[in-house]
Amino acid sequence: MAVSTDLPAGFVERRKKPRVGWQRLPRDSRDTLFMLFVIGWTVLPHVAHLPLWCSLLTLVVLLWRAKLALANATLPSRWFVAGVLIVAIALTLWSFETLLGKEPGVTMVVVLMALKTLELRAKRDAFVVFFLGFFIVLTHFLYSQSLFVAGAMLVSVWGLLTALVLVHMPVGQPSLRLAGALSLRTALFGAPIMALMFLLFPRIGPLWGVPTDGLARTGLSSTLRMGTISEMAQDDAVAMRIRFEGDAPPPSAMYFRGPVLARFDGTEWRPPNYETLSALRAPSNLRVRGDPVRYEMTLEPLRIASLPLLEATRTAPVLDGYQPLMLPDLQWVADRQVMERLRFKAESYPQFSQGPSTEGAPSLRESLELPEGYNPRTIAWAQDLRRSPAYANASARTLAAALMAHIRTGGFSYTGAPGEYGANAVDEFWLDRREGFCEHFASAFVVIMRAMNVPARIVTGYQGTDPLPLDEYYIVRQSSAHAWAEYWEPGTGWIRADPTAAVAPDRINRGRRLAPRPGFVEGALDNVSPQLIADLRKSWELINNRWNQWVLNYSRGQQIDVLKRMGFDSPSWADLALLLIGSLSTLALGGAVWAWWDRRRVDPWVRQMEHLRAALQDLGLASATHDAPRTLARRVRERYGAAAETLVGLLDTLERQRYGRSPSPRPDPALTRAFVAQARALRPAR
Amino acid sequence: MQATAAFAPAFHLRQRFRRWMQSRQPRTDTLQLTQRNVYILPTKAGLLFAGTVIVLLLASINYQLNLGYVLAFLLAGSGVVSMHVTHATLRGLTLHLKPVAPVFVGDAVLLDVVLTSPGSARFGVGMKVVDGAGGSISWINVPALGQATTQLSFVAATRGRVQVPTLGAETRFPLGLFRTWTVWRPAADLLVYPKPEYPPASLPIARPVPGGPAQSRSADGGEVEGVRAYRRGDPPKLIAWRKASKSIEAGGDLISRDTSASVHQALWLDWQACGSLPPEERLSRLTAWTLAAHRAGIDFGLRIPGREIALASSDAHRRHCLEVLALWQ
Repeated sequence: MAVSTDLPAGFVERRKKPRVGWQRLPRDSRDTLFMLFVIGWTVLPHVAHLPLWCSLLTLVVLLWRAKLALANATLPSRWFVAGVLIVAIALTLWSFETLLGKEPGVTMVVVLMALKTLELRAKRDAFVVFFLGFFIVLTHFLYSQSLFVAGAMLVSVWGLLTALVLVHMPVGQPSLRLAGALSLRTALFGAPIMALMFLLFPRIGPLWGVPTDGLARTGLSSTLRMGTISEMAQDDAVAMRIRFEGDAPPPSAMYFRGPVLARFDGTEWRPPNYETLSALRAPSNLRVRGDPVRYEMTLEPLRIASLPLLEATRTAPVLDGYQPLMLPDLQWVADRQVMERLRFKAESYPQFSQGPSTEGAPSLRESLELPEGYNPRTIAWAQDLRRSPAYANASARTLAAALMAHIRTGGFSYTGAPGEYGANAVDEFWLDRREGFCEHFASAFVVIMRAMNVPARIVTGYQGTDPLPLDEYYIVRQSSAHAWAEYWEPGTGWIRADPTAAVAPDRINRGRRLAPRPGFVEGALDNVSPQLIADLRKSWELINNRWNQWVLNYSRGQQIDVLKRMGFDSPSWADLALLLIGSLSTLALGGAVWAWWDRRRVDPWVRQMEHLRAALQDLGLASATHDAPRTLARRVRERYGAAAETLVGLLDTLERQRYGRSPSPRPDPALTRAFVAQARALRPAR
Repeated sequence: MQATAAFAPAFHLRQRFRRWMQSRQPRTDTLQLTQRNVYILPTKAGLLFAGTVIVLLLASINYQLNLGYVLAFLLAGSGVVSMHVTHATLRGLTLHLKPVAPVFVGDAVLLDVVLTSPGSARFGVGMKVVDGAGGSISWINVPALGQATTQLSFVAATRGRVQVPTLGAETRFPLGLFRTWTVWRPAADLLVYPKPEYPPASLPIARPVPGGPAQSRSADGGEVEGVRAYRRGDPPKLIAWRKASKSIEAGGDLISRDTSASVHQALWLDWQACGSLPPEERLSRLTAWTLAAHRAGIDFGLRIPGREIALASSDAHRRHCLEVLALWQ
């Protein structure tokens, strides 16, 4: 069927400039190339995580598809695409040994996306590509939610929406700029809805179990084996952010207490055996001294029940939806696993002691047990030490100091990659290899103390923060995970002993991380203007922190704060939902009202003519919608002659304004008013 | 697709519903699209999009990804806005059907539709004939405060006065998540002439006008006094080649010199001269003859049962004859 479009020149595209390069391409080729570019951009940040074959395959497929688009050649057959897909599945299995989980999942989505471009036959195929694209955008956030990733993905979403708009502009060759502007407009108008829903959509915990590798995070767990924490040291993900009211305690006091492990079976440390509820609720005999440190903590979802609070916290923090409980070993736990981001306030006493009373507390017997047959050489070494005259009657404190001294001077080294240890790991570590991570030092310390008949246990958690606060926030990363020891001194109670501090004091006193060496550009800038680079870095950190606080950390706590600021007394989950539904309904109503108002909107010229014709109607002069001002002028002149020269003059002016050589863009309201007044003046003369 | 769907009861229900909807629409040649006659529903792609947003949201909840929330809500917001944009693309437009020219049965009727936008530019508006064979959509953009014309066509199947079929306008701009459409029943009708017989039978022999100068000469001798349509058996030397070439260019027949006094001759295209053909075929033949006679420039008249049209040769006469043939009984 013939399509004729007599659009005025330059309506869709201004063609004053000669078209260059890709603009000269046929529309289909150009649109396909644009889409391929958007897909490439969307996939690009994944290259760091994808297996090499996947990146190469995607690159080759996209380039090949671009070549086909340029040559306007036919697409490969479905069988070919299916064959490549099978090969890709096989390669995925080969790379990951599974198809489930995050990494293989992302790999498969990227491969599917690339292969789908080879099948872009109908509009439906295009939609599949767009929606796969949105998924890929989301998968980036599993790896990083930094400002850079957010910016790049915003461009991706814009590109995908633009491609979607292009599909629905079937006429002519709409410019990319026009399609981009239209999609941007759609997204900008949608932004208030987005902001509203982001602010008010109730933040709830995960709806069902998430595959644990989903976030590729190692983390604290309720058991400890050799190597657990050194694995975590590789993970730079944020565990929590803390803002202190007042001065921050020194780094050496920043112990965040996680699971306490007292039972040892030779390879694995486990928490104490709280068999009964009353054992769980036994008194902790915590005594605190001095002033508390008050702080606000934003805790990332660690997927454990343990709340790593700063040592030692006496009163339960208020957590919406959770009931925190302090165990007899001073560990704070929630009543279930924490699967969502939490923000709360707490106070802790850096000076504290547990004991010396054991009244009601679980017996110390568990903290003395050693499994039979494990680590015989270390146990012998410890008993030798104990039997030596200097330590025969020594207190636990003296023995601990002796061990610390031995660690400092015994040729031990602190390393994140100590390698594999065998069955008698403590023997191997303490007497042979002498290199290890915090967990090796802590467990060796506890085993030796127990061998010397001193009750001892391992405490896991986090120690230290990033050296410098970001906009008042101290960041604790997974890599700050730590294990230390506590031993029992009769008359004093539990005493913390951190053998890592003996071998690597920097790790404890300053935070392990050192500032990275400046890059080349940064170095050059530093030479030019150290002040500038400092200012730049400061403002960048400020922006980044605001981003963290308001976008990434936005949680139920902040939602409640927002509601409080809006005047709700005791906001709840239901208030949020009601407010959200109410606002969305109001918006929808607003949209409907706009549509209704828009219905009444007509061409301003037509509206003006309606006014003039109504005025003439009052004079008894009938006219039709299609009558031009000139026609009306003739009729007015025929009826009234010279008496109505003003009216005729106004109509002639209108004719010139609307249809003349240089027409005005919109009608002149003054003319309408003058005309109506004149027409009224004529009425008595009738 | 329709052939298989025609057996489904849902299809019949839909057809009935559509007919009922259409019968509620007043016929008009100029249709102003308002909220009352513009309809909107999500498309399959729209449902797929909603599903995508929900899956993105679930993933964000389960993985506690605040940026995932941002993405899902941004898409949801854009989708809602696109609904308004899609509706506003049709709303406010004025559709106007220009007068339709008559055609012969079997020919395509061309409908010129003018779309006027009172405000912003409208992109990707599709027009189509709703019922009828020509189901393909013609897409058009309407400039801001301007007009655009598109042409639709359908095949005229019966002669006589034919109602312009129901037309439809639709759009999925900008994101294709919603489809907005309207149904328009133009008031205009058009005249469809009978299908000219093909190959055309040769014209009947013209007869001298009674009362005219009674000069009767043999057809192949004597002075040449005019031209007439070629009749089988005319010798080549009798053909007026120059005129014939023009006539053929215009799609007509050869033209022979008429040695008889053609000026005074009259050609009667008579129902009775069509032998024993059924009525519709007679009309076809008479139509073909009318066209041929008019092309040849001969005075001709038309006799059909109940009507007789006097001799003439003007364009108006041709139109009149065709109209009578179209509307016979």
